[in-house]
Amino acid sequence: MQIILNGLIFGLSIALLAIAFQLVYLPTRVFFMGLAGLYVLAPYAGMAIQQAFGFWPVSLLISLPLVSGLSVLFEWANHAPLRRKGVSDGAHLISSLGLYIILVQVVVMIWGNDPKTLRTGLDSAFHLGDSVLTGSQLLILCVSTILLIIFLMILRVTNLGLRLRALANNPVQFALYGYNIDVYRLLAFGLSGVFVTIASLLTAYDIGYTPYTGLSATLLAVVAVIIGGRNSFVGPIAGALMLGMIRAQVVWHFSARWQDAVTFIVLVLFLLIRPEGLFGQKTRIEANIL
Amino acid sequence: MAMNYIIHLLIYFDIYVIVALSLNLVVGYCGMLTLVHAGFYAIGGYAYALLTLVLGWGFLPSLLTAVMLAATLSLAVSLPAWRLKGDFFVLATLAVQALIFSLLYNWSDPNAPLGTWNNLTNGPFGISGIPKPKILGFTVTDSHSFFLLATVLAVLCAFIVWRLTSSPWGRVLVAMREDELAARNLGKNTRMLKVQALAIASGLVSVAGTLYAAYVGYLDPSSASLEESILMLSMVIVGGVGNFRGPVIGAIVLIAVPELLRFLDLPDALAANLRLAIYGLLLVLMMHFRPQGISGKYRLS
Repeated sequence: MQIILNGLIFGLSIALLAIAFQLVYLPTRVFFMGLAGLYVLAPYAGMAIQQAFGFWPVSLLISLPLVSGLSVLFEWANHAPLRRKGVSDGAHLISSLGLYIILVQVVVMIWGNDPKTLRTGLDSAFHLGDSVLTGSQLLILCVSTILLIIFLMILRVTNLGLRLRALANNPVQFALYGYNIDVYRLLAFGLSGVFVTIASLLTAYDIGYTPYTGLSATLLAVVAVIIGGRNSFVGPIAGALMLGMIRAQVVWHFSARWQDAVTFIVLVLFLLIRPEGLFGQKTRIEANIL
Repeated sequence: MAMNYIIHLLIYFDIYVIVALSLNLVVGYCGMLTLVHAGFYAIGGYAYALLTLVLGWGFLPSLLTAVMLAATLSLAVSLPAWRLKGDFFVLATLAVQALIFSLLYNWSDPNAPLGTWNNLTNGPFGISGIPKPKILGFTVTDSHSFFLLATVLAVLCAFIVWRLTSSPWGRVLVAMREDELAARNLGKNTRMLKVQALAIASGLVSVAGTLYAAYVGYLDPSSASLEESILMLSMVIVGGVGNFRGPVIGAIVLIAVPELLRFLDLPDALAANLRLAIYGLLLVLMMHFRPQGISGKYRLS
């Protein structure tokens, strides 16, 4: 029970990040590695603001628009011009990898590369049946569940969600109906920035942060997206939860250091056996949806 | 003093030319973006280190074994390449890269001696005291003769790549890059081609890894890290892919940038980060203004 719970909570934090990735990937088809840079920046910015004001809601209120503004800037200054030139997906991937490298190096130059944590002092513990939850785990559980529900509501109920899904499904048709694609792309990047900030702050509060956590966390999220189904908004959540459970089992049965190896073996198995993912429709993997 | 410094840079240049040319074979001629190259580079280095240090082999047999090993292990990348394309092939290579890194990092046990089954790689502490190359009873100790050895090997690798890419085999490779379906319609076995190209590229890059291990004398898993792969990739992207000049130019640029920074008198810690940030900036700018690289023939797709 304890292991399942740990896996579930870890899975939820990956799910937030996977949603952030998918929010960009589906509407814009940009393989957004800059997300990892934003993930790195968020806790450092949060911590700096926290030290200046000494009150955490202010820090949250400033770092959220800061990070998602940066995400919008990435789209406005990098991906939108590239799209107008009509470059390939590979060029988007490489340039956003470049953005990630720049952002991480800037963070290291300003704040150094020692591990840090947002939490001060020991964590409180709660008993839930025969298993134990720490306070920060409980926080992750509550906040991510609420956020995921809000996300699904936005997606299913509001007009914005409908338009984002339409943009993901068929950008050309969407533009023909008179919507401004550029604005919705910026919106998608901004929303993604909100999700990545919260995912990053929660994890930083629970287990701390270094400038190098971003890439591995984002790669996990991408693996979750592939497992869950890359053409769906819901699939990645399921994929992330499954991945969290698998990793928790690996820790229990083998050792924490084999987690990454097992994760990528799962990825390869999925790519070979079920490339469309858990929630995907069966299409050729190279088929692009226009 | 200045001479030694130049020799040192030239040895690095030799190593990186081998890396860039072999990566160009995959990225430029096959059109497959791969992130696993540093993995095979490190496998070459580790194979050399273990064979010479633990078994006491000479340079040439360990070099050949390293090449064979890397070429065989490249199947782990080329088999997924049968079915995966684009971003998803990149992801599969990333998975293999993560596997290699985590094997090198974790296959260790502090209680067992280095090189036994339980402690093959010494984990995060790396392998130190890797012997200098011994060829036919002659040991290469000073950097001048090491430079000769590195240059001979680099020229040999460049010759192999040059002959391969200007042969009919190389032209089929380009045909496959341009249109795989058409190449298959003409009866070319593109699956076999991918296996061959990746095996050759991995074998060649393991030569570079061997040289690096022998020159520096110390090797740790960070040489198989993703950052290293990204560095190698930015080398060919900056230089340009699909021909012979591009990767060489890329290798020169990426060696020259940190050396120029050295003259700015920055603190050491800052300089390393600034160097990486400049590589990142180069990647972004290249994609915007010159997607085919400084001297490339082919735009990545």
